[in-house]
Amino acid sequence: MTASPLPDRRSRCRPWLRRTALFPTAFHFVFALGLLPAWSLVLSSPARANDTDGAKVEGKSGREAIRSSVPSFELDVLPVLTARGCNAGPCHGKARGQNGFKLSLFGYDSDFDHAAIVGGARGRRVFFAAPASSLLLRKATGEVPHGGGVRLHPDEDDYRMLLEWIAAGAPRRVAGEPQLTGIDLKPRRVVAQPGMAVQLTVTAHYSDGSRRDVTRWTTFSSNEPTLVRVVEGSEPGRLQVGKLPGEATIMARYLTELATTDVAIPLTAREDRETAASLPVANFIDQHIGRKLQMLRIIPSASCDESTYLRRVYLDLIGRLPTPDEARDYLEDSSPDKRARLVDRLLERPEYADHWANHWVDLLRPNPYRVGIKAVYTFDEWIRRQFRENRPYDAMVRELLTAQGSTWHHGAVTLFRDRRSPEERTAIVSQLFLGIRLECAKCHHHPFERWSQRDYYSFAAFFSQVKNKGTGLSPPISGSEEFVYDEDKTVTQVRHPVTGEILEPRPLFGQVPPEASGLPLRQQLAAWITSPENPFFAQVAVNRVWAELMGVGLVEPVDDLRTTNPPSNPELLEALAADFVAHGYDFKHLLRRITASQAYQLSSSVRAGNGIDHRNYSRHYRRRLRAEVLLQAIDDVTETEDRFSAMPLGSRPHELWTHRIPSVFLDTFGRPDPNQDPPCERLPDTTVTQALHLMNADHLQGKIADPKGRIARMIADRDHYPTPESIIEELYLACYARFPEEKEVAALVGRFPAERSQWTPVAQDLLWALLNTPEFLFKD
Amino acid sequence: MTRTRQHRTRLSRRNTLQLGLGGWLGGSLVSALRCVAEGKNRRRRAADACILIWMDGGPSHYETFDPKPEAPPEIRGDFGTVATRTPGVYFSEYLPKLAACSDKFTVIRSVRHNQGNHGAGNHYMMTGAPPRIPVGCGAFVSFHPSMGSTVAKMLGAPRGLPPYFSMPQMSRSGGPNFLGARYAPFIVNNDPNRPDFRVRDVTIPRGVAEDRYSRRRELRRLVDTLPRLNDEAAADPVDTMDEFYEQAYELVSSPQAQKAFDIGQEPDSVRERYGRTSFGQRALLARRLVEAGVPFVTLYEGGWDHHSTIFSALKKRLPVFETAVAALIADLHERGLLERTMVIALGEFGRTPKVNSRGGRDHWSNAMSILFAGGGTPGGQVVGATDRQGYSAVERVLSPENFVATVYHKLGIDPGQILYTPEGRPTMLVSDPTPIAELG
Repeated sequence: MTASPLPDRRSRCRPWLRRTALFPTAFHFVFALGLLPAWSLVLSSPARANDTDGAKVEGKSGREAIRSSVPSFELDVLPVLTARGCNAGPCHGKARGQNGFKLSLFGYDSDFDHAAIVGGARGRRVFFAAPASSLLLRKATGEVPHGGGVRLHPDEDDYRMLLEWIAAGAPRRVAGEPQLTGIDLKPRRVVAQPGMAVQLTVTAHYSDGSRRDVTRWTTFSSNEPTLVRVVEGSEPGRLQVGKLPGEATIMARYLTELATTDVAIPLTAREDRETAASLPVANFIDQHIGRKLQMLRIIPSASCDESTYLRRVYLDLIGRLPTPDEARDYLEDSSPDKRARLVDRLLERPEYADHWANHWVDLLRPNPYRVGIKAVYTFDEWIRRQFRENRPYDAMVRELLTAQGSTWHHGAVTLFRDRRSPEERTAIVSQLFLGIRLECAKCHHHPFERWSQRDYYSFAAFFSQVKNKGTGLSPPISGSEEFVYDEDKTVTQVRHPVTGEILEPRPLFGQVPPEASGLPLRQQLAAWITSPENPFFAQVAVNRVWAELMGVGLVEPVDDLRTTNPPSNPELLEALAADFVAHGYDFKHLLRRITASQAYQLSSSVRAGNGIDHRNYSRHYRRRLRAEVLLQAIDDVTETEDRFSAMPLGSRPHELWTHRIPSVFLDTFGRPDPNQDPPCERLPDTTVTQALHLMNADHLQGKIADPKGRIARMIADRDHYPTPESIIEELYLACYARFPEEKEVAALVGRFPAERSQWTPVAQDLLWALLNTPEFLFKD
Repeated sequence: MTRTRQHRTRLSRRNTLQLGLGGWLGGSLVSALRCVAEGKNRRRRAADACILIWMDGGPSHYETFDPKPEAPPEIRGDFGTVATRTPGVYFSEYLPKLAACSDKFTVIRSVRHNQGNHGAGNHYMMTGAPPRIPVGCGAFVSFHPSMGSTVAKMLGAPRGLPPYFSMPQMSRSGGPNFLGARYAPFIVNNDPNRPDFRVRDVTIPRGVAEDRYSRRRELRRLVDTLPRLNDEAAADPVDTMDEFYEQAYELVSSPQAQKAFDIGQEPDSVRERYGRTSFGQRALLARRLVEAGVPFVTLYEGGWDHHSTIFSALKKRLPVFETAVAALIADLHERGLLERTMVIALGEFGRTPKVNSRGGRDHWSNAMSILFAGGGTPGGQVVGATDRQGYSAVERVLSPENFVATVYHKLGIDPGQILYTPEGRPTMLVSDPTPIAELG
């Protein structure tokens, strides 16, 4: 190992001080008087207690210390600017800078930053003749008004380092300085007790093999500050664990390097191995979940009852409620494998395809005002066909990514009509199919990831052979036909936005599979993305499906897979993805696996303090029904149909081919806004306008009172519904997929007058009441 | 014009003061940021509500508030001018009623921007942010929260009232974007000028008597047996829904709130005053909503995109428009509400100086006029000016950012605050948070 230019801790952080002492410059004679007392304070202050923790730091000879005693811009100055928040997103790091001073976000572009500091503002930011008068320092110390407040005090080491750097002529590089190669955060995993304090240390590694403790210039943040708080103030890297059990991830950022630590705070309950060992295990899912829960000392809720399972699995797999007859058949069936058989039946229902295609159209569907009606229609048709034919996921994505032809005939091509430049295509493809949000790296180094602008534009270069021919966009009509195909030469050059260099296509990591080399670039890209070697591809897909069924993704947001956003159960995510790949990327197989697990079949009710759990599946998490599912459910229980414009009569809410088809109901319940870019995941929010709509909308009142609706039919059908009890039972089965309890029947039956002709309003009111309860609105 | 100048001199002094103050305030940016995190980002407010009259398509500045009688005929157009109550200030001859009450509002003649198509112009003026990527003319886009959605989030509304109404439809970029669906506008799409008009969803459904409604409520209690989780840590979404149901009941059963929705309670004289048109009655309903505590109402009025036969079209259109707007301003003033309620009328841009071969004017974002009343806005004032032929804003040139920042500022919302998208990306509410000082 070569000797490090970074000295050990005692002298290490302050080589510039030593240099000051040895080689005073003219400036130092002028200012020495003011600085001296502060030096002595620093030099005599005892090393911090945790200095010896964590990684050892290499020493170095005094001779080299002198050589490198000028602070390095990249290794000393930038870390300070980053640690003090100067180049953060809300301040000078944002795209337009702040008050004319712009820095690269978290210092990813040191050339740019050096130029901004030394050359910008007509050189006022640094003043070599009188470094302390440099605007950079006067602003940071608040000596002159600074919108960002006081960021630095003149009696701090960091201040003196900056002063020293300026006095030395603000060099861009110091001779022989090494480069930062990575950081090491310790400890990586903590199992903590409530109220405990935890100290983290961050060690930087350099290209010459040297290391140093950079904890004090590292920014820490907690994703769950109520559980684990980063202590602000004099002791960097200190965490305070709160009183509540749970889990948190701490992110540490030193310049553009990132690392995370997981902190788990188990329940304080005694470990109950006996109960834990007795829990049912249906498949590997339960093993992984069980291990995690055991570590957290959480006992999961009991299994849900049959009617809850019935309703849940109908809503999840086909987006509909069971009819009263289907519910009766299932509930009265006593065979032990009836749950699995029900799943098999549902997966063969035609509604399966429409329901699951709907999750994908949310993500892919463009705005017809932008790309034209016919292109959106054919795209919608293409997506639905994938699910109708149960196309393997990898084949579906390969076809989409390599689609060629006419937007009027081959729907998949519409993606390349909507997203027109290599850059736009990069953003959507990486997010949807890899769960990698590259968008940030378009304009600057990704703040929470390793992706750089070079990565972004090298990826974009895979689209450089795509040619669009025909009539482009002319919103709001855009009605014409367009063709998309690959040329065997470059159509669009992709350049690095800063350096201007033309970039060759390069995957984000790994290599294009050898069998794809020499193929058109999009086919190479598709081969790389869908390769079983690419862990992101299957993981983001299973995570989406898992989130839909289980109420929350193993990774949240579901398409944001990155080291700083770790899954709640990495082993489970990997196992699910491996299983998905091993079974031919078959969504139906995945759904069978999940629905068969004990974890899926848990009750939502809280048991023994597991209410604190929101990510480890110790209970079922309730969710409001999606807009289309809820409208379909209302249509089914009222036995009415909606009429949609631009759809044939009898169409169901799941079948709409664009979110532009007007529906106050669907808007109220949060279907995606077709105007929004980027398209977003829909939120299962509840709002007061939803309550108002369900209670009072004329549209729903009309459905309840429809002369051809369920109530009217039941009242007219004396043979099947001779008594109020029979009507009550039917409505409970239709809405809740369960039989009413005896006491419920008893409480309701008295409300029906003796005269059958007067039952209608009572039955209507009962149906109104059922539709307005959470038992109807939520998947329990 | 003397008035304008006077005002400007008065302002320079105020400007100086504010600069000094800015230095003080600037020092506390960190604590301001902390306040944002805690959701306490309101300042002292000058107004409690805003009625935004959105003239979609882009109204001509020549034929409304910025006529150029001395320009050559192909620019001047067919219309003459009318003197306003403000000495030296003239409006188009088809705005006599607004001219007669010009002492109640300010006209801004100098907002300009560079987004000359509907999709982009709408987005810029409605959100204060230019679209992030080039968008087409017919585009309906959203990259940033609209004013209405932001106000809905920051101010809210009492008693379960939806905080952001848009009638009869949502404006193009009027959505919440990353703020989330709960801040989307509450759309009232039916026509308050019809005898059977009701605001949707906020009253007992038609054909259900009141006693039956309370029976329903009782029945609902009876059949609602889903166990609640009864564990605060579990964050049961059902609890939230329960709260919303409580609020909804309160709204339906509150006579005060119900009054707000019942436009039929207005005497005929008032309804006539606003004009018996859909737009007029919507303006009247907006006043009632504001009275009930709604902080933001958008009145969407499409069809100002006069590429052809602009003069005949505006001859019909302007009287309807100005009757309602003048009545709204006067009515709010008489009720003492104008002090706390902004009334703003604008579109996405102005229109081309030269009348085209089809007798129309095309898109022109170099100049536009905005009517701005209430919430402490000085009356009888003109801010800024276009050049002699109306080609471009040249005096006191202002941006859409300044305009939107003014609306937020008056409502006590800090336009310079940082919002975080769900991905954690920091976004300034308005990138240039400087309000238009002349508006008070």
